[in-house]
Amino acid sequence: MAVDETSRTFVHPLYGWLEKIPGLSVGLTTADAVLSWGLEHSLWVFPMATSCCGIEFMATMTSRFDMDQFGTFTRPTPRQCDVMVVAGTITVKMAPRVKRLWDMMPEPRWCVAMGSCAISGDFYRNLYAVVPGVDTFIPVDVYVPGCPPAPDHVHAGMHVLMEKIRQVRKGTFRPNADPAAREGLLRPSIPRIGDPDRDPALSRAQAEAAFRMDPGCQVTPRSEDERDVP
Amino acid sequence: MPDDVLALFRTRLGLEEVPPEGPFVPPETLPDIVAALKEMGFLLFLYCAATHWPATENRPEAFTVAYGLRRPGPGSSTARLRVRIPADGSIPTLSGLFAGADWQEREQYDLVGIHFEGHPDLRRLMLPEDWEGHPLRKDYAIDTHHFPWR
Repeated sequence: MAVDETSRTFVHPLYGWLEKIPGLSVGLTTADAVLSWGLEHSLWVFPMATSCCGIEFMATMTSRFDMDQFGTFTRPTPRQCDVMVVAGTITVKMAPRVKRLWDMMPEPRWCVAMGSCAISGDFYRNLYAVVPGVDTFIPVDVYVPGCPPAPDHVHAGMHVLMEKIRQVRKGTFRPNADPAAREGLLRPSIPRIGDPDRDPALSRAQAEAAFRMDPGCQVTPRSEDERDVP
Repeated sequence: MPDDVLALFRTRLGLEEVPPEGPFVPPETLPDIVAALKEMGFLLFLYCAATHWPATENRPEAFTVAYGLRRPGPGSSTARLRVRIPADGSIPTLSGLFAGADWQEREQYDLVGIHFEGHPDLRRLMLPEDWEGHPLRKDYAIDTHHFPWR
């Protein structure tokens, strides 16, 4: 049975914010709604791909899964990007490099931790050379679990990030909205970014370690714990 | 191992029986024996792998380094030999004979802490430059704290 395409209604993303003036064919909206719409539909991705999740991320970015339909595609430099997708295990030697690339990205910026290794270190967690999760040194907005996550999981994760950006700009975003859901989770041994128990000296030491790699650099490191929301 | 290699080991080291995993070679004669093997066509430096043996009541702390060389071509074969050194000992480098031994010896220095005498550039290869200790030693705790990343 053929689908009648003409019967489908197209709902524009701005529809909810539009206000019509009676008698005139003019739509009004707030500038912030337009900015927010533009922001969440042009997420350019910096692929911080270090291992097998990077291969899955390459598959995600192919035309078969069509991430371009909501403006997400990869750029080869952090200067042009909004989202850093950390895909893969981050070692102690790699961590200052990741932090340095993150500091090169212009605000507003977001981070997606893709796969178990980027989230928590997974089974390399207790290894001497592996960082137990990228959120020990950069703030992570969306976690996409899996080993590796399938392309549609990354797809869903990007939609969650778009929803988060929308709510943050509208002022309705509530972090840790459901404390009961977090009750059964183990408390990590290393305080994450944003944890009230986290020592600010740790963030400062991590930033300095990243900037120490280039002595002539003029950029001053800034604590991630005091980051302003977009 | 092929017969000519077994014959070389028997005459040079005075051995009756050569174990299949390779005979123990004194460190000071290692470059001569490896040079002789290279003359015999063993042109490919396969591996250099070190092991740490912690001290027990029977023997003091020691290191073992296993070498593998390959003779390419038809009927190719592998020659294996090992070197055992005490905890404070060192091994002459093979980077003059094989260019490929350079980074392999740097890796073993990095992870196990073997000192290769005469190596042109004995630096860490894999771990960060400011790392303390050698993590593949048996007395290295796996959860050693490495500030600021752990």
